[in-house]
Amino acid sequence: MIELKSNKLVVSFPELPFQPKLDIDLQRTLRIPDDGKDYPLPPGLGSFPLRHIDDFARRVPESWLKRGGVLLPMWQAEALWVNFNSHYVASRWTAYPFAVKVATGKINAITGEAWRRGLSRNPQDYVVVPEQPWLDGYCVEKGIIRQFVAMPLGQGYSAEEQLTGEAEFGGMQIEVFPMKPEVFEKRFPEREGLIFRDRSSVLKCAVLPEGMGLAPGGRMRQGIYDDPYSIHDWDTEHSSRCFIHLVNSAAWKAIAGTRPPSKPPTASQYTNAGYPWFDYYDAEQKAVGGSKILDALKSVAEMGKQKGAPLPDNESVAITNLVNLRAHLQANQVRESDFSQ
Amino acid sequence: MKSALGEYLRKCRVEKQATDGNSFSLRQLAGRIGVEPSYLSKIERGLEPRPSEETTRALALELGEDPDVLLAMAGKVSGDLQEIIRKRPQLFAQLIREMKNLPDRAVLRVVREVRDGNW
Repeated sequence: MIELKSNKLVVSFPELPFQPKLDIDLQRTLRIPDDGKDYPLPPGLGSFPLRHIDDFARRVPESWLKRGGVLLPMWQAEALWVNFNSHYVASRWTAYPFAVKVATGKINAITGEAWRRGLSRNPQDYVVVPEQPWLDGYCVEKGIIRQFVAMPLGQGYSAEEQLTGEAEFGGMQIEVFPMKPEVFEKRFPEREGLIFRDRSSVLKCAVLPEGMGLAPGGRMRQGIYDDPYSIHDWDTEHSSRCFIHLVNSAAWKAIAGTRPPSKPPTASQYTNAGYPWFDYYDAEQKAVGGSKILDALKSVAEMGKQKGAPLPDNESVAITNLVNLRAHLQANQVRESDFSQ
Repeated sequence: MKSALGEYLRKCRVEKQATDGNSFSLRQLAGRIGVEPSYLSKIERGLEPRPSEETTRALALELGEDPDVLLAMAGKVSGDLQEIIRKRPQLFAQLIREMKNLPDRAVLRVVREVRDGNW
């Protein structure tokens, strides 16, 4: 089941032993320059608001309603990242493992292939949480992603439109599978001692906007980690999914009745103010290779150039304040900044 | 006088202090939630068994605990829940009484889920 709590999708499996639970939230961030250079991780600027689509049934198209899920406001050319937080199982000293599939416009963000049921190992079409703490974009090369950037559907920018020629779905889709409880029990035997707390959970959810789709933006250093478990360890009998519709922020107030978050700072405003960027390495994890399909897509800036509509605020930035985050995030390891505007 | 809330808060804080260092000292934590260290110490020792809802919520946020659970330990019910019940007292009183003996799994079935559709 998936609940919406404080702008988080809380995916839980109360019917399973250990009651696995995964929080997923979509973080506001700045758009990194789309200039062919490889950038580190930008900050999180707080969660995007999420709303049940059924609460605004009269103000959204019928085609959105039939997909269910939630609504999220984004400005054109705004970026997001997906934050995973699996809840800790204290008796086992670990956050419960989940396999999470993420797609945009029903195009898998790791493989570039069309959305399909279940999980695939070769190529791996999912990320493993908690090893993968977040996902910022499309996996285009080993250790490199292209940032998720919102663009209006119908203009040809989105990964979906570039690959299928159609602007049918848009948005983002996420699907979560917990590890089989019997496998978890075996792999993480009971331990006694200090209790640490952490957060994490599993969710199958899809984010899809009609009106807005996600397109590949600038290049960022982020490994998509190879599944350290077996494909048979995942419980494909139990999954939850949700569709996330991306609403243009300009239309958000008319639908939801509240103001959308303000536009995030530009990369150069943020960098020039001396705020930090982040690097995250986990030496224990092996990154999967990138998707040739996704790597062949035109980035937002390339597409804009071709269309004669250059991407605004796309100046390269030189980063001097870089914070290295240790692998296996601790409670005080935050990827956030107090930058506010 | 011992209090379950005080002991629990102290345990959480000391664990945090062990992993996160001095930012979870009595003094620093008290500073962040806007109370005197002596007051926080009294809460931990059970000499102030019922801190205000605001203080309890601030502690929950800092310590990564569930505010509803901490409020319950302080013998309180969150103000927003009271408001919900006051608006439709008969309906919610009946609902809660009827559900009081249900197993957790059955209660969870009535929470609002994000609806999945066709896509």
